[in-house]
Amino acid sequence: MSDHKTDNKPDKTAAGKAETTPPNTVTLTIDGREVTVPPNTNVLEAAQSIGIEISHFCYHPGLSIAACCRQCLVKVDKMPKLQPSCQLIASDGMVVHIADPDATLARQQMLEFTLLNHPVDCPICDKAGECTLQRFYFDHDNAPSRLDVAKVRKPKVVDLGPHIVLDAERCILCTRCIRVCDEVAGEHQLEMRYRSDREELGTAPGAVLDNPYSINTVDVCPVGALTAKDFRFTMRAWELMATPSVCNGCATGCNIEIHHKNERAWRLIPRHNPDVNQYWMCDEGRFTYRALRDNRLAGPVIDGLPASWDRALGVAADKLKAALDGDKSKLGVILSAQHSNEDNFVLSKLARDIWQLGKIYLGGKAPVPERADDKLRDADVNPNTAGVKAVARAAGYTLGDKSALERDLTGGTLSALLVLGNDIELSDEALTALAGLDALIVIASSEDRIARRTDVTLPCAMWAESHGTITNRQGRVQRMHAAFPPPGQAMPAWEIINRLGQACDVALGYTHPRTIFKELCGAVDAFKDAEWGKPVRPLQLRFAGSRG
Amino acid sequence: MAELKTYVLGRKTIEDLEALDQSDIKDDLQEIPSELMTINMGPSHPAMHGTVRIVLTVDGERIVASDVQPGFLHRCFEKESEYATYTQIFPYTDRLNYVSPMINNVGYALAVEKLLDMDRDIPERAKYIRVIVSEISRITDHLTCIGASAMELGAFTVFFYYIKAREWLFDLLEELSGARLTYSYVRVGGVVNDLTDDFEAKLNQHLSGLETILGEVETLLNNNKIFRDRMEGVGPFSREKALAWGLTGPVARACGLDYDVRKDYPYLVYDRFDFDVPVGTTGDCFDRFLVRVEEMRQSIRILRQAFEQIPDGPVMIDDPRVALPDKQAAYNTIEAMIRHFKHIMDGIRVPPGEAYTFVEGGNGELGFFIVADGTGQPYKCYCRSPSFITLQTVPELIKGHLIADVVPIFGMINMIGGECDK
Repeated sequence: MSDHKTDNKPDKTAAGKAETTPPNTVTLTIDGREVTVPPNTNVLEAAQSIGIEISHFCYHPGLSIAACCRQCLVKVDKMPKLQPSCQLIASDGMVVHIADPDATLARQQMLEFTLLNHPVDCPICDKAGECTLQRFYFDHDNAPSRLDVAKVRKPKVVDLGPHIVLDAERCILCTRCIRVCDEVAGEHQLEMRYRSDREELGTAPGAVLDNPYSINTVDVCPVGALTAKDFRFTMRAWELMATPSVCNGCATGCNIEIHHKNERAWRLIPRHNPDVNQYWMCDEGRFTYRALRDNRLAGPVIDGLPASWDRALGVAADKLKAALDGDKSKLGVILSAQHSNEDNFVLSKLARDIWQLGKIYLGGKAPVPERADDKLRDADVNPNTAGVKAVARAAGYTLGDKSALERDLTGGTLSALLVLGNDIELSDEALTALAGLDALIVIASSEDRIARRTDVTLPCAMWAESHGTITNRQGRVQRMHAAFPPPGQAMPAWEIINRLGQACDVALGYTHPRTIFKELCGAVDAFKDAEWGKPVRPLQLRFAGSRG
Repeated sequence: MAELKTYVLGRKTIEDLEALDQSDIKDDLQEIPSELMTINMGPSHPAMHGTVRIVLTVDGERIVASDVQPGFLHRCFEKESEYATYTQIFPYTDRLNYVSPMINNVGYALAVEKLLDMDRDIPERAKYIRVIVSEISRITDHLTCIGASAMELGAFTVFFYYIKAREWLFDLLEELSGARLTYSYVRVGGVVNDLTDDFEAKLNQHLSGLETILGEVETLLNNNKIFRDRMEGVGPFSREKALAWGLTGPVARACGLDYDVRKDYPYLVYDRFDFDVPVGTTGDCFDRFLVRVEEMRQSIRILRQAFEQIPDGPVMIDDPRVALPDKQAAYNTIEAMIRHFKHIMDGIRVPPGEAYTFVEGGNGELGFFIVADGTGQPYKCYCRSPSFITLQTVPELIKGHLIADVVPIFGMINMIGGECDK
C-alpha cells in the first residue's frame, strides 16, 4: 500500500550514507532459487523477497523474534534438525528447503496442533475473513480433523482493559500481543500463564492492558483472541472497504486505512510506513473516526437557520464585499491546521494574493502537552500545522497565532472574519468580541465551538471525505484519499472557497484538488518533489485475501 | 451504405439475383418507382426472438441493408465475473443461454477444472451426469428454437407440442436442481448432488413421449407447403462463408460444415457414445430446421447410451481445494469450518494461469477463456458465445430477402439475447 502515499523523496543525507558504504549482501539458495539479501535478514524474510510465503504466527516484522509457534520450520542443509526460519539468519551459501516433504509435514503437523483445541467460532468471530489461521489452514493444510476427545475449554470473555477483550480459547499462544506491549508501548502488561494446552494469556500481576497503543495488540493478533471493544460485533471484516489515508489525530500523520461501508467509517487500521509509524498507531488516533459522524453540518446555515447554498454564498459574499470595500485591514482570515494543504492554499491565495489582506491567522486545536511521548503521539493535535506554515512562508507572510487573534478581536481591530475550520478555542472576551463582529463566516464541518455563533456557516467535508494532502511534523507531504462522500450538502472546503470567490467576483477556477496540488508544488518549496499519486479504488477486504 | 439495386420477386438467393441480366426482366416491381426507406424492427417485436433491434433499409419489401443492434440484454457477464468467486459465477452462466443453462454450467466448470489441473480426476459418474444434463438442455434449446419459429410462421400447434415436451424436461431438471431455468447445478469438481432416484425412469418416459412428438411435428411441418415455402431457399449460406464467418453449431452444420465439438474435440465422455452429426447441404432455413430436429434425435440416442454406461460412485471430486466439506463436519470441527468459510467467502483458490475450454452448446461452440491470478476470483473471464458470432451474419443473410423472411431467418439463427449480449 505504501505506493499510494505521496511522499517527499528520502532526504539526501540518508541516500549519501547508503552510497558510501559498499553494498554488503549474502546469497543463499531457497528451494533451488538463488536469493541475495542484505546481511542480518532472516530466512523467512529472504523467502518473502522472492514471493515464497512460509507460514508463521509468532513472527511479526515490527517485533522481536520469539520463534515459539514453530510454524515456519524449514529444512537447511548441514543442520541436523528443522529450523524456525524466522530465527535463522541467512548466511552465504546456505541451502534452504521449504517445500521439502519433512518440513512441509512438520508445518502441517504444527498447524494441526494449533487447530486442535481451537473453537468452532468462525461464524461469530470478529477476525473471520482476515484471520491468519484460516488463511494458513486453507493454503497449507486442508486436512480434516482427527480429534476424537473433547476440546480444552478456556474462558471466552476476559476483560483485559478499557479497550480489549480476550477470548482465551481462540488464542494460539503466539505472544505477539505481549511483545507489542513490551516493545511498542514499553509497558509490560500481558503475560502467559500455565503450560501446555492449558497455557493461557492474561494480564501481568497487578496490571491491566491499558496503554496508549493497546489496540495494536488486536491488529497483530493472528486470530480473533483479542478484539477491540470499539469494533467487536459491529461489522463483519470482509464486508468493509479499505481506503488508504493518513490519521488526522495529531501532527505525526500515521498512515492508516479507513475501513468503511455504507458511507460510514467503522474503524481505522495502521498502514505500514517505515518512516512514520512502522506498523502502529495510537488508540486515540483510532477513535478519530467517530468525529466523522458527530454533530456534522449537513447544510449551510444563516443566523442559525438552514439555508440553501445559493443564498448562503450570496449572503457571505455580500458581507465580504462590504468588508473589502470598507477598511480592508479590518477583515481577517483564519487558515486551519485541521484542513488539507489544498484547502489552505486556495484560501491563502484568495486572502493574500487576490484580496491582499494583512491579517491572516493560524487556527486549529490547542496543543495537548500531556499526550506527547517519544513514540508516535505528538502534543500538536492538528495534522497539518507544518503544511499551513509552509504555505504562508512561501506566500511571504507570517501567520498570526491564537494570542494575536484574541488581541485583535478584543482590541477591536477586526470587524469581519472568514474562518476555515471550527476548532479554534478562544478566551471568553474574544468570544464576546467575536459575537460583535460585522461579519463572521465559517467554513465548518461540525456544529461545535465557533460554528455556533456565526452569520453564515458553510458545511465542509472532513478528512475522510475529500482528496488532499497534509504535511506531518517531519515535513512529509502525505496523501489522503476520499473514502466516502460528505454528509448531506457538505462539500470539500477548497470547493466552498472556490465558490465563495466566484460569488465575490474572483475566478479561482479550481475543479479538482489535483490541480491545486500541482500549483502548490510549483509555488511552495516544501512541496517541490511531492507527487499527487495515482487514484485508489477502495479495496474490498473480502477479496483482498486474508491479510491476517 | 449499400448501393441501390432492384430485385426480383420469385428468386430466392442473392447469387441468383446478381447473375441475372436485369434488362431481360419485365417485372412489375421494376416499373414501380421506389425509394429507399428505413424501418425499425425490434427491440420488442412479436416476431423477433430475444430483444434485438434491426434497422432495415428497404426498397419496397426488399431488404437492401440492415443494421443489427444487440446489447439490450447486456449484463456485464465478463466484468461481473471478475468480481465474483469462481463458484459465484455459475449463476451468471445460467443466464447466458437461458434455454440450455446446463451446457453453460458445464463449459465454465471445465475451464476452471483445466486451470486447477483436475479435469482428469472428475468422478466418472459426474462426467456422465454432466453429459446427460447437457443433452437434455440441447433438446430443450432446439425445441424452443423450432417451436417458436414455427409459431411465428403460423404453425401454432407445433409450438404447443414442443413446449409441452420442453416443459417435461424442464420439470425433470427442476426436480434435479431446484430451479426451472437457472439451475446452477454443476460445480467445479463435479455436480452439486446425484441424480434423483426416479430420474432415469422419468427421463425414459419423457424421451419416448418426445419421440412421438417429433414424429407428429414431422408430419405437421416437413411437407407443409406454407412452412416449406417460407423456409426453403431462405437465407442460404455457403460452407465457405460459414467458415469465413466463424460459424459453428447447427447453423454451420446446415451449411455443410461437418464440425461438432463433441465429435472433433471430445470432452467429458462423448467419445464413448455412438451418435451421428447431421449435416445440411444448402444452408437455408429448412436445412437448419432439419439439422436441429435430427440433433434432438441424436441427443436422445446419447441419453439412452449414457444411462446404459453410467457407473455408480461419487458425483463430486474428493479434493479439499474445491469440494465443500459436509455440513456435519463444518458445524462440528474447526478444520471443516475454516474450509467452508474460505470456500464461500474467498472462493476456491485457482493457481495462476490461463485456460480455454469449449463445448458444443445449443447454438455452437461455447467457449470460456479464464485468466487466473491465484486468488478466488478470475482475473478475466471471456465467453465465446455462439449467438454473438452467428448474429454477425444476419445482415448478410437477410440482404435481398423480403421483410417477412427476416422472421424465419432470425428464428432459425436462434439468437439468444442473454448469450449474445453477455
